[in-house]
Amino acid sequence: MPGGDAPNLDDISQTTFYIPYKPDVSKPTRSRLPESQYQERDFTEGPDLRLAAYRKAWTKCFDRLQTIIHNLQTPVVAAVVEEVHRSYTDILPGLPYPELPVICITDPIFGSSFLTELTNQLELPEDTPDSLFSQKTFVTHLHPPDCGNISSAMKSIVNGFVERETTLGKVKRKPATSLANYDITLLSTWYKALCEAEDFDAESRPNLVVFLHEFEQFDPIVMQDVFYICSTRIPDLPLVFILSTSSPTTSWLHTSYSRATLARLRVRRFALPSGAKILEDIILKTFFDVEFEPDVMIGPANIQYLQDYFTRYDSSLDKVLTILQLIHLKHFSSDPLTVLIHATPGVTSLSRPTSFNFIDSLAERLYAPSTQTPSETHAEDWRSITIPSLIKSIDEARTSFRSRARGIRVAFGFINLVQCFMVLQGYKGLGWGQQISLCDVFVDILEGSLEKDIKYLSIMVRKLRVEQLRGLLEEIQLYFTNIPTEEEAQAQIASLQSILPNDDVSLSELRGQVATGLSDWLIGYLNSRLTPLEESPLWDIWYTGLTPFPSELLNPSVRASILSGLLRPHDFAERDNESEEEDREVGLWELPDTSILFKRYLDSGKMINVYDWFESFKTVLETQAEKGKSSSGRGTPKKQKGKGKGKQKAVESEPGEWEGEEEEEEKWKLEVQARFMRAMQELDYLGFLKHTGRKADHVLRLVFDVND
Amino acid sequence: MDTTHPGYEDFTTHFSTLISTMPPPFMYINDADAIQTTIAVIDNVLNHLSSAPGPSKISYARADAIACFSARLLYESIINSLASWTPQWEDGAVNWGADNGVKWNDTFDGFVHGLRAVHAYLGKGKEKEGDVRLVIVVERAERLIPELMVPLTRLGELARVDLCVVFVSEAPWETIRPPLGTSPDPYFFDIPPPTKEDIVKHLISKYSSHPPLKPLYTHFITTLCDVCYPFTHDPHELAYIAAARWPGFVKPVVDANKRDMDLDADSDSGEAFQPPSEETRMRLSRLFNPSLSLALDALYPRLQNATDWAKANEPPPNLLDNPPTNIKTALPSGEKEAGITSLPRLSKFILLASFLASTNPPKSDLRIFGRGLDEKKKRKRRASGKPTKTKGGVTKVAQRLLGPTSFTLDRMLAILGALLEENDVDSRIHRHASEFSIPGEETDMEISRVGVYAAVVELTSMRLLTRTSAVDRLDGPPTFRAAVGYEMTLCLAKELDVSLGDLFWEVM
Repeated sequence: MPGGDAPNLDDISQTTFYIPYKPDVSKPTRSRLPESQYQERDFTEGPDLRLAAYRKAWTKCFDRLQTIIHNLQTPVVAAVVEEVHRSYTDILPGLPYPELPVICITDPIFGSSFLTELTNQLELPEDTPDSLFSQKTFVTHLHPPDCGNISSAMKSIVNGFVERETTLGKVKRKPATSLANYDITLLSTWYKALCEAEDFDAESRPNLVVFLHEFEQFDPIVMQDVFYICSTRIPDLPLVFILSTSSPTTSWLHTSYSRATLARLRVRRFALPSGAKILEDIILKTFFDVEFEPDVMIGPANIQYLQDYFTRYDSSLDKVLTILQLIHLKHFSSDPLTVLIHATPGVTSLSRPTSFNFIDSLAERLYAPSTQTPSETHAEDWRSITIPSLIKSIDEARTSFRSRARGIRVAFGFINLVQCFMVLQGYKGLGWGQQISLCDVFVDILEGSLEKDIKYLSIMVRKLRVEQLRGLLEEIQLYFTNIPTEEEAQAQIASLQSILPNDDVSLSELRGQVATGLSDWLIGYLNSRLTPLEESPLWDIWYTGLTPFPSELLNPSVRASILSGLLRPHDFAERDNESEEEDREVGLWELPDTSILFKRYLDSGKMINVYDWFESFKTVLETQAEKGKSSSGRGTPKKQKGKGKGKQKAVESEPGEWEGEEEEEEKWKLEVQARFMRAMQELDYLGFLKHTGRKADHVLRLVFDVND
Repeated sequence: MDTTHPGYEDFTTHFSTLISTMPPPFMYINDADAIQTTIAVIDNVLNHLSSAPGPSKISYARADAIACFSARLLYESIINSLASWTPQWEDGAVNWGADNGVKWNDTFDGFVHGLRAVHAYLGKGKEKEGDVRLVIVVERAERLIPELMVPLTRLGELARVDLCVVFVSEAPWETIRPPLGTSPDPYFFDIPPPTKEDIVKHLISKYSSHPPLKPLYTHFITTLCDVCYPFTHDPHELAYIAAARWPGFVKPVVDANKRDMDLDADSDSGEAFQPPSEETRMRLSRLFNPSLSLALDALYPRLQNATDWAKANEPPPNLLDNPPTNIKTALPSGEKEAGITSLPRLSKFILLASFLASTNPPKSDLRIFGRGLDEKKKRKRRASGKPTKTKGGVTKVAQRLLGPTSFTLDRMLAILGALLEENDVDSRIHRHASEFSIPGEETDMEISRVGVYAAVVELTSMRLLTRTSAVDRLDGPPTFRAAVGYEMTLCLAKELDVSLGDLFWEVM
């Protein structure tokens, strides 16, 4: 723009102006952490400490999740790597022509983590001890934009190999008189020279892997020629294609590619595990595993939401991770008490006057049960509270919660063990993982509604035969020996094992005695362990309980949120804290321009006369200006409220600058028109209007039946 | 001269005579059925002629029109291969004749000069300068770059050397001939489809392992060709099916032989393999004949590759000892649709809705999905719909047979809403949310969620939906077309517990 940083806005030859955003550098603003809902109970360092605590808790959880995901995909990675290496050795005799090996990977949920892992495995450095194959592979990655046409596709493939660092070194080629860089002959030449230089024989020569990412997006017309050209060079050029697809079926391969192309390929399919089992596995190993202790335990509402979202909308693992992270974020940002999750702040920081509200709320929570006792003792109690004693009780609460949570995990593992044993023995079991989703079981456990199942199991245990009992006891014993905290259970099992008769003296009485003993102990043990976490003091620090997941954040209804945004803009934008009268009816003039226009839009018929619309808009703006003036006269900060967006600044500054009535009138008219145009264009952009040439100065209304 | 390709004797004689005596400058060989075999035969003939001792030396080059997707590639590959030049990586992969600093590969003119240079180079040392005949075979000529079509057909005139251009194509010359008579008419060869006997002979001649089993193989191939020849005449395809079935077919015999050898290991049997008896052969045929057509079904459209098919259909050990029953063949069809069950629930509904939107005419939507219609009325329409079909001269072809039509996103979402309202309300977690008072309001929220739009895009990228409007078009609703078939839709409906029968406008 010619005017430097001040564009000439009067230049009529320009249709648009770009006014870049210039942040105010003079005030270095530190990004403010979001405040808690119960900010009044917070103390000064609270938000920072909570952020740190969140980081620690989430990192721990995330690491665990990554390990689980890694373990889930490892078998497929190994299978694919093996297939790549065996592509040219395992060939059916008698085939009329060599086929181009193609590995088609169906991966609906793992996404990039799997591909990264696979690439790493394929391109292992030569002397890695854990690589299964001595053979090297060269991998080239292709993405859909690389393959717009056949020459760019071939160029990417050829260059992907030829330009890599090998023992051959760089050879200077004259581009005009030597082979073109999209010629597959060049690749053959390079490969031949490489094999001679490195002294490869037919067994050890490296395979050339072409990795096609998001294969469904490639143009079939281009790819069929690529496959054709590559298939004319095999097996001298040992090319292997890996197609990464997210489609759960491969039938599209047969609809998009001709039979002639498919006949040149040997397609092998590898599918990654998918479906609800994956989610169950992840939750089980993260939150209900004896060997892992999550910092934040998620509640039944969150598990339900996770399950619902996974099975209904999107079953990608990225989404699962996002939801779990959001659960963590929300947990730490809502309640100031969550700062206590890992450790309690020291006495010094808590005895500052700024922390008193925090201390009060804590004491209230901790000593709330004593309100039932007569009031004098209550007062006594309150007086006796000191900060060190408070810290001590918090630490106690933490230990007690942790042990309670561990108890639940151990009990779940135990119950699952008995359940699986029953299924293996041919009994019906509880149907977990078959008819009943494990996620539902988790919800039942956390809600403490598992008595029926426990009862059923205990009855089943009573009916077991001697050898079955022996087997079960052995398994239980093995399970508990790995858990040092469960000495009591170990002792109990050991004593039952000692009573159990040997095979030859299978007295029914003794069997009955052991079975009943085990069954009774099972009921007692499980009931003592499976107590709701909410009964622990200060449970909501470590447990999300019944807090619902903010699902509207992740999956909003587009139409509904746009409409409610336009109808009630103040529910979305940040309000000033001083205006407490929340439920007050907001006047039309207080709304932003777009909302004013939208309200008028709702009152209109099928076609809207733009001029009438403008007139009504103008009336509202005049009210707004008047009210603004009168309120600024009174000097109350109310003016701020009526303002919508930054536009309003102009109105604010205007009253002082008024000089001549007429000039000011002119200015005002222009402003109203500009604001109207902008608001209307915004509605247009949102898709509320349709311009038809049918009637002059009219637009078509597109949205009806809005109940505000 | 060429014994491996029976049925080509006439062509071979004719072609080789022409090439070695007075070839026309432009020949066109058309073979619609077995082009691979024809190419192999031509290659064989030319190879034979070019290496034969004689007065006129023949040098030939093959170029694949698909692989030579640019003019430069075509020029380079023809000139390098005429001059028998292999580019070396160490020299920077230079082309033939690049030392002189001449470029043959940038224009057609350069290419013609290159041809003359090659001709002169090859003719050196001959008694008569230029006594070399160049033969250029262009395979799959139907894919040749259009600009090169005319000059190549006239290459003999342009280069003014002894040169013959041969086009080999699956398409007849009439369909690819340049307009306005710019190309001279070629000398035609039309290769007839190979007969069954020729294919059998050809396949048997390829057999290499275990000579004692050759009679059995002959028998096997004859039966296989009897079954499969009506469906494909391509020897390659038949050989492919044979390669997949033979290991399974011969396995019982090999097993039996191995056992016999183990039994009389001490006795010194000279013959490693006993050819199977007539009775065994009959039993094998009986056992395996039904599986041949199944192999054709799976392998011809490449629903499975031969190697995997052979593995999946390996007969059980000691098959011949078992009572005669048909062996079971594993069918790959089931697994094709298996993956779709792991889709999220809403995506399945979207696929279902898209199939309905693509099959039913838009005017029928209100009648099928409109609320307030009682069952009786619906039935009536159905009953009265049939007799009207019989009258009227031209019967309308069912939409299902015409393929899916495209629909707008809004229409699909409306159908989705109707489907969800009928079949999905009970499975929601917030099913008793108090904020929704009007019936169907919650479904309305549900179908306009971000997740739904995201799922539509996701399904499009998975090629389970096809987007028919341009991606960058912002005006108006985007249009789509269903890409799932009827079987898959049935499978989805069964899983979602939707009764599909009432939802089709035409009886399926």
